[in-house]
Amino acid sequence: MSVVSTVATALGVAEEVVREVRAGELALEVERSNLPALADRVFLGLEGRLLSLFASDERQATGRFVVRQVWSLPGHRTFLHVAAPIDPALPSFPSISAKYPVANWFEREVMDLFGLVPEGHPNLARVALHDDWPEGAWPLRKDFPADRIVPRVQGDFHPFRPVTGEGVFQVPVGPVHAGIIEPGHFRFGVAGEPILYLQLRLFYVHKGTEKRFERLPWRHGVFLAESISGDTSVGHALAYAHAIERLANVEPPPRARALRVVLLELERLYNHTADIGGVATDVAFSVAASRAQTLREGLLRLQDDLFGSRLMRSVVALGGLRRDVSPEGLIKLRKHLEHFGKEFDDLIRLLNDAGSFGDRVDGTGILTQQAARDLGIVGMAARASGLDMDLRRDHPHDAYEGLRFEVPVEQGGDVRARLTVRAREVAQSLSIVRQVLDAMPPLSSASFRHPMPTRLPPRASALGWAEAWRGPCTHWIATDERGEIARVKITDPSFLNWPGIVQAVPGNIIPDFPVINKSFNFSYSGNDR
Amino acid sequence: MTPVLSDALRAFGLAALQAVFLLAMAPLLKTLIKMMKARLQNRQGPPLLQGYYDLAKLLRKETVRSETASWVFVAGPRVYFAAAVSATTLVPVLISAAPLEAAGGVLLLVGTLALGRFALATAALDTGSPFGGMGSSRDMTIAALAEPALMLGLFTSGLAAGTLNLGALARSALQHGVTFHPSDVLAFAGLFIIVLAETGRVPVDNPATHLELTMIHEAMLLEYSGPDLALVEWASAVKELLYLTLLVDLFMPVGMATSAEPVALLMALVAWAGKVFVLAIAVTITESMNAKLRLFRVPELVSISLGLAFLALTIRFL
Repeated sequence: MSVVSTVATALGVAEEVVREVRAGELALEVERSNLPALADRVFLGLEGRLLSLFASDERQATGRFVVRQVWSLPGHRTFLHVAAPIDPALPSFPSISAKYPVANWFEREVMDLFGLVPEGHPNLARVALHDDWPEGAWPLRKDFPADRIVPRVQGDFHPFRPVTGEGVFQVPVGPVHAGIIEPGHFRFGVAGEPILYLQLRLFYVHKGTEKRFERLPWRHGVFLAESISGDTSVGHALAYAHAIERLANVEPPPRARALRVVLLELERLYNHTADIGGVATDVAFSVAASRAQTLREGLLRLQDDLFGSRLMRSVVALGGLRRDVSPEGLIKLRKHLEHFGKEFDDLIRLLNDAGSFGDRVDGTGILTQQAARDLGIVGMAARASGLDMDLRRDHPHDAYEGLRFEVPVEQGGDVRARLTVRAREVAQSLSIVRQVLDAMPPLSSASFRHPMPTRLPPRASALGWAEAWRGPCTHWIATDERGEIARVKITDPSFLNWPGIVQAVPGNIIPDFPVINKSFNFSYSGNDR
Repeated sequence: MTPVLSDALRAFGLAALQAVFLLAMAPLLKTLIKMMKARLQNRQGPPLLQGYYDLAKLLRKETVRSETASWVFVAGPRVYFAAAVSATTLVPVLISAAPLEAAGGVLLLVGTLALGRFALATAALDTGSPFGGMGSSRDMTIAALAEPALMLGLFTSGLAAGTLNLGALARSALQHGVTFHPSDVLAFAGLFIIVLAETGRVPVDNPATHLELTMIHEAMLLEYSGPDLALVEWASAVKELLYLTLLVDLFMPVGMATSAEPVALLMALVAWAGKVFVLAIAVTITESMNAKLRLFRVPELVSISLGLAFLALTIRFL
């Protein structure tokens, strides 16, 4: 049975309704009233994972808004796009958040940015817009000019959950913090030091990136994609490039795909190393912290040396890479990573041997498997809570198809489990890079970049994805009638994962929050866009 | 001039000299520990005089105070500073006599430092900022455990010498020399833990952190700026030097001058600096080798100290 018919059967629809847009992407259009029933079928029948939910304003072409869902169907190695047209006269759609909390922020974001109301959502408070933004100004609608300046209005205070009870009080923290970190507001309900619950308020660095893409020539998009989250520049650049390449039906040459794997794994290496050091910093284990910093700095210098950019910006290009790496560079890379591997093992030994460190990370900030599953947690955070998922294996991109690697999964869900998953992933990354280097397609002229067509197909859409170090980065890109960008939906893993911390924190004490937060290290910028 | 009056004047003069001396040396100790910590991490670390630069910078800056702050907020750093400076006059440093030892001994010292702590903790509550409150509550929790342990530790030495006067204690220790009596060893270990707790060092508190949610001492200072902050920072540095000096006095009295002769004083200065340096190394190594304890485990650590002090006391009676 073909994938299409399997999926159609599981969804209880006729086979003609499910369309295979291209390899690895199925699409299906449904009535909006069918969204909840369909979600049930995808969750239960296909074991799908919701990776994104968003809207697009297609009133100019078809007179409709469209609410869209992107599901990963790992069992079938394909993504499923679900689209439900919305009549502008009835700007609402049925919510699935009460049953599937993973949709919670997504649906509220659609409400904030498009003015489409998720009917039956248990909490219709704003998430993307703040409370001083005027009513009725929906920035992602096409009739909202990108340069429009809206007046600040006297909004109500954000409806945080109140606290009651003797000795129970709220501790508001941020958005401005004592250290130089990104802004986010955390509101703790506490009884003394123990935390009863935590509420988040993010989007202080919302930059309108998705709107910006709509005015940008698609050829320039990689540069913007790289700046979505500074520590995931390769991840987002690849997700964007993949989407455009799929639209243009271009496959990068083998050498470029191999080197893209190296880039993505280097990004994983330096971020995991930095975060392991960050956890050590947060529990004041300074020697381990500075060793991790040194290792990270070594990687950044290597990256600067090989690619001309410490954070590997402007390396990924549409159709391949902007520049190649010399054979001497690859030898240097291999040597550096051999050395790095030994030093990294020493660092992990140092951490594992320090009882005082173990005492801080064991059992701290547990995100249970059930909570992670319900909230749709993805990536490294999900793997540390016992959920086995990885786009590199489930939906291979670039050169991952032919590589041997395991997906580390830990059951604990605590800070220790996240550290262990990171450490094990570092080992896997090193092995992946070694395999790629061993089988590196030879250097030849123009072998690192496939030319792009002058125009993209009009009125088409495609999904680009990459399993970056935090988890899946996805870009859904649609073109207009001229083949220019009509909509880019960026989903950073942080957007899916932030609600996880709300479940991981209660029961811990306030001074343990920073180390829990650091063990996840979600991106504010990627979440807020 | 009557002899009593001239004695008093002499004592006050010495007290002023000693206070100025410790105030001048304190920033050096703080930077020295930072420097040694940095070296253990393969970092360069700050220049030796950084502590002075920082104080000079803060003293030049303007003071910003919250609109909701009352006189309590203003008084806090001043009382804290005054308490630390007063405490310096009760502890022998170079000579085996404290300038104002006639005023009181161990109890007065602990009481004076407690007064400063009380003033700072109250002041931190004053602005209503959640961090100030958090810092105060944590600091008082630890103080409630650390102070009895500190007193018990000091009493052990007092019991051996038959006095609670710090000058007399130092003289007695000097007379007996370093004994390595089990009681001394236990009391020293207990007091060292207390010194770490009282001076906000790892594993109790992290003086280098930027994470406001984990802070203890620093959380109380978040609202302070300019000269107010300089006073608190300076007083904390003096307190730290004072605690290390106290350990030196009680357990390593070797080299202390018995009179104010210049040569003896110079020798005493070298000896004192050397011994404080050794203790600073011990603090540095402890800070570098340990992660900070989970806040709720700090009482366990302090209890260990209390237990050690109690054992030391018991051994004295055996």
